[in-house]
Amino acid sequence: MQREVVLTGIGGQGVQLAAKTLAMAATAEGRQVMMSSHYGGEMRGGQTEASVVVSDGQLRPVPILESTWSAYVMHHRYWPGVAERLRAGGIAVVNSSVANEEITAPGVRIVPVAAGEVAVEVGSAMAAGFVLLGAFAALTGLAETDSLVEAMRQLVPPYRTQHLAVNEAALRAGAEVGAGLDPVGAPR
Amino acid sequence: MPAQLLQGSDAVARSAIEAGCRFFAGYPMLPFTDLLEAMARLMPGAGGVCMNAETEIEAVNMALGAGAAGARAATGSCGQGIALMQEAIAEAALNEVPFVVFNMARGQQDYFQATRGGGWGDYRTICLAPKDVNEAVEHTQLLFHLADLYRAPVMMYGDYLIGHTYMSVDMQRRDYGPLPPKDWALDGRRGGTGASRQIWTWAMGKANDPGPGPDLHWQRIAAKFEDVARAEQRWESELCDDADTVVVSFGSAGPFVSQVVAELRADGLRVGAFRPVSLWPFPETALAEACASARQVLVFEVNAGQMIDDVRLSVGHRVPVRPLGRVSIDFSGMRQGEILTVPWIRERVRAAMNETVMG
Repeated sequence: MQREVVLTGIGGQGVQLAAKTLAMAATAEGRQVMMSSHYGGEMRGGQTEASVVVSDGQLRPVPILESTWSAYVMHHRYWPGVAERLRAGGIAVVNSSVANEEITAPGVRIVPVAAGEVAVEVGSAMAAGFVLLGAFAALTGLAETDSLVEAMRQLVPPYRTQHLAVNEAALRAGAEVGAGLDPVGAPR
Repeated sequence: MPAQLLQGSDAVARSAIEAGCRFFAGYPMLPFTDLLEAMARLMPGAGGVCMNAETEIEAVNMALGAGAAGARAATGSCGQGIALMQEAIAEAALNEVPFVVFNMARGQQDYFQATRGGGWGDYRTICLAPKDVNEAVEHTQLLFHLADLYRAPVMMYGDYLIGHTYMSVDMQRRDYGPLPPKDWALDGRRGGTGASRQIWTWAMGKANDPGPGPDLHWQRIAAKFEDVARAEQRWESELCDDADTVVVSFGSAGPFVSQVVAELRADGLRVGAFRPVSLWPFPETALAEACASARQVLVFEVNAGQMIDDVRLSVGHRVPVRPLGRVSIDFSGMRQGEILTVPWIRERVRAAMNETVMG
């Protein structure tokens, strides 16, 4: 089974780090993974997007996705370009603390997660991306929470280790939110 | 070893070091820069040397020097820098110094440059074009082997997608069999020991020990490349046996064409895919066989039509060969543009099949 996720947001929200964390966690679990990134020159506020393809068997991916089963949405600004690629029957997990009600797509289940508020509760608004990732992974089953935590620990550079604890708390809090939602069926 | 998630440039650098590469020199130029940075980061820990040269000309000649001393050496750039390197690549081919050139191209517009070369003399350059990160890892090790086996500079045709995409990678050392000893390598002795050696494009030898001279030397090299052309053709062929239409593509375009073929097959269309893995030597016999039952051959390449020449040379006039791609580069100028997508290719293959096969 092959599943795709497009991650979208604006520069500074940690979208690329979330994508790498998910890709590394799924790889560690023995799955085949491909990840591509797309972002502009802006450090803050510009378009940032990544796609991750996870497969239980032989991966036959292309690095530029025509369509996707799921989406991880940290911000609404570049949502239209993602919405047009989401297949009916798919799912979009949305950071409802920031994204507004324009987030819809035909036949796609929209799952709001108050990632910003949850992140503040665990200690840092900066960790919202990891809250959303924890919720996304728990809901979709693309990676175990422990694998995400381990991947995050490997990816955070040595000069940012002060964020490890809150990042882990954010992933686990997000996973709790995800586990409490209606589970997803088999992807199409 | 369990699979690791690695970015293409990082994976290629690690694979080169795994293959025993201990000298790397380059000059930054996207999308090659990431490979240079990865080499700079990893090479010291492996006991090797990575030089940020002042120009591509300097970098390739450093690699030539390290190769002449017997090291597994490499350099790289993209089309513009590779253009500057052509003289040294030709010299190395003719004085038989092995090294690897990582051509992280800005798209597919450098096929002629990679396969025809721009240096002087009768030489060819072995060139492998991986379809994705995992194949790039494998090709990296194979290229070092082929360089040493044939004592020649060799090239990888990569690009932005190979360099920047992350994949779960199996980073193991590949064994391609035994190699002849490097008893030709220079050892730094300047004479008097009886062990001084010469590497010279013109092979004229020393005053007391004349060499074969350019005529015999270059005839032998030409014969060597004829052997390489027969022995080292590599390709991947999918569903061509009963295909009315065969779509030929190379490098990063390959997976897109494979997916298009799988989707059109599911719709009942008899279409196959063929991908030269070695751009030189071009797998001409295998391509002719793959097209044996075809009524048309479509060439998808993201350029104005370069590989199509080799396709036509391979299949001859028996079947029409049509271009499917065009020039297409993104706004940054660093990567393939809008046509490298499954829908773009699928609609054009479908249209061409409706026109020719159904008509």
